[in-house]
Amino acid sequence: MHALQRIREYGLSQRQLAVVLLVPALFTILAIAIYPLTQTFWLSLQDYNLKFVAQRRFVGLGNYLKLLGDEHFREALKHTLFFTVVSVGMEFVIGLAVALTIHRPFWGRGLVRAAVLVPWAIPTVISARMWEWMWNDQFGVINDVLLRLHLISESQAWLGKPATAMWAIIVTDVWKTTPFMALLLLAGLQVIPEDLYESAMIDGAGAWQRFWHVTLPLLRPAILVAIIFRTLDAFRVFDVVYVLTGGASNTETLVVLNQRVLFSFLEFGYGSAISTAIFIIIFFFSAMYMRILGLELEVK
Amino acid sequence: MTRTRFVLPALLVLVALVLALGACAQPTPEVVKETVIVTKVVEKVVTKEVPAQEKITLIITSGSGSAGSTKVMRKQIERYMAENPNVEVKIQEMPWSSTQQHDMYVTWAAGGLPVPDIYRIDIVWPPEFAAAGWILPLDEYIQKYNVNMDDYLPGPINGVTVNGKIYAMPFFTDAGLLYYRKDLLEKYGFEPPETFADLKEQALTIMEKEGIPNGFVWQGDAYEGLTVDFLEYVWGNCADVLDENGNVVIDDPKAVEALKVMVDYIQSGVSPEGVTTYKEEDARNVFQRGDAVFMRNWPYAWRLLNKDDSPVKGKVGAKPMVHGEGCQSAAGLGGWNLAINANSKHPEEAFKLIAYLTTPENQKELALEAGLSPVRKSLYKDPDLLAANPFYETLYDVFLSARPRPVHPRYPEISAVIFTEAHKALVGEQTPEEAIQRMAEQIREIVGK
Repeated sequence: MHALQRIREYGLSQRQLAVVLLVPALFTILAIAIYPLTQTFWLSLQDYNLKFVAQRRFVGLGNYLKLLGDEHFREALKHTLFFTVVSVGMEFVIGLAVALTIHRPFWGRGLVRAAVLVPWAIPTVISARMWEWMWNDQFGVINDVLLRLHLISESQAWLGKPATAMWAIIVTDVWKTTPFMALLLLAGLQVIPEDLYESAMIDGAGAWQRFWHVTLPLLRPAILVAIIFRTLDAFRVFDVVYVLTGGASNTETLVVLNQRVLFSFLEFGYGSAISTAIFIIIFFFSAMYMRILGLELEVK
Repeated sequence: MTRTRFVLPALLVLVALVLALGACAQPTPEVVKETVIVTKVVEKVVTKEVPAQEKITLIITSGSGSAGSTKVMRKQIERYMAENPNVEVKIQEMPWSSTQQHDMYVTWAAGGLPVPDIYRIDIVWPPEFAAAGWILPLDEYIQKYNVNMDDYLPGPINGVTVNGKIYAMPFFTDAGLLYYRKDLLEKYGFEPPETFADLKEQALTIMEKEGIPNGFVWQGDAYEGLTVDFLEYVWGNCADVLDENGNVVIDDPKAVEALKVMVDYIQSGVSPEGVTTYKEEDARNVFQRGDAVFMRNWPYAWRLLNKDDSPVKGKVGAKPMVHGEGCQSAAGLGGWNLAINANSKHPEEAFKLIAYLTTPENQKELALEAGLSPVRKSLYKDPDLLAANPFYETLYDVFLSARPRPVHPRYPEISAVIFTEAHKALVGEQTPEEAIQRMAEQIREIVGK
């Protein structure tokens, strides 16, 4: 007998059945998302240091007021936004170029496609350590190459200067995450039917016109998804910064600051306030993208 | 249609929630290097089944101090396990940066983990760890097992004593030293430098004439090491962070002057720009290649600088740190200590292992093979050790008089303020005056005085 019919025999309407089927999922979400979130918010209303548990007390919105006046937080927010916009922008442009290249058939394409993924496959903490050596001021390969090409006249301490440290981090991150962007875009490219290009060609469209009027519009959903994922990821950047500069030289991002307050100082109250602030910011990002994506769906 | 439009965004928002929480709640698992398991096969003649004594496992951490220290510890632990077949000891490697180690310990301890059983802790952590109840007082065991505390150096003992109780056994000690190129100083007729100004003058002269790229390398990255380096300039210029009553006294023109010396070393080219990214090993790598005239570092560097494959073997001298005119040289007291996790299931077995690792014989082995300075006074007169580390004789006073960093349960926050503000001055984002002013304000807020 059909399972659905069997359930109907117990007298469940379709609506009730839906509720029954949704309960496990809702419960999971409650346990792994809602509970920690409310817990974090509850902690953020307290003056609570894990070292001095006895002095724990409720301070209402005190931590949030402190946050508004906290210069470290404002600085970190600035660095994080800069990192997010620049790195995601660069990853998108390069990722799209890579995706378009490996979408075309050519000899050895399988090998190239696999090779492109290598940076993405290396754990960030390891690739960041590798780049730390490459950026080294005394024996780093980057200084060596640039010196030989006469692009710089003396070795630079890339990670030790506010003017270059964030750029060095961005380059490292772009190297690592561009493959992810390329992969998502490649998947988008592969569902575009070939006959659209054929008819465009018959209509006399050049390569640029085909890209602009066929590829880009049809790639839009994939682009949006890729950018959403990368933005949310980039906004929470931690490991690459932690390894390369530890947040020094104007590179402290929100999560690096958050980690320091929570796990170096054990200020769980104030640290949770920072976490909640990060959450709210990400929430707005998501809501904004949701709107765009929602409009997208409606148009379709 | 409207329903899908609602459900999809709602789902994505939930994804965002989970992602955001991941950002808040994750400790940093990537920094755990590896767990080295040391096992030793103990031969047994199996004639009949004997009920084996219950086997227990102890975990001890190891890490920064010297590349060779874990190797020596492993050797000693293998011997210990051979003598005590009921104990299995595992070594857990920690990252080099003491700041990173601290964060990991604190996360584990605050979570109440029973492992590692033995924390290897920095000399500045006992007040914090003891106040939080993460480590055990050891006085009872010290009496029970008759450990001779009179043989220990006073500095490390002070460091591990909180409210009259000993919370860790000193494992090795450290004092900041100034390393210099004996051969080059002699060549140009210089006496080893005494003041900040001497060092600058000698470094610039030798750099120019010898074509050496760097004059002076030290620890300028924004981490604990910079705090120690900075304190040595401040103390060496007759200033301090906290006075004996715990009042903040860092806003002192003498402290500003000290920070100006550090900034000037970078701006005048005595120290490379990149020194603001150096930790101990970065500085040593540069100095050992022969690319610097002076280096501030800990005693562990001596053995490595004088290894057979070292380009500067036999060309290096070590002396107390340079200081300001009319002030006294000051060495930052460093060193690592073995403490017992308050949640350990085998505290007594853990203490027995600690006692074994700190016997004079094992301390001597650690000093000879890993270059770590012993915590026992008697060893500073040991002929083998003096032969390996000739500076022990002349620098014994430095070890005796090395100064502790500000003693406070909130020391990590104080230190973070110091290295963050000092680093901003070193990279030219703020003036030394601003840096000292901001340090004073923030430290006052932390200590509440």
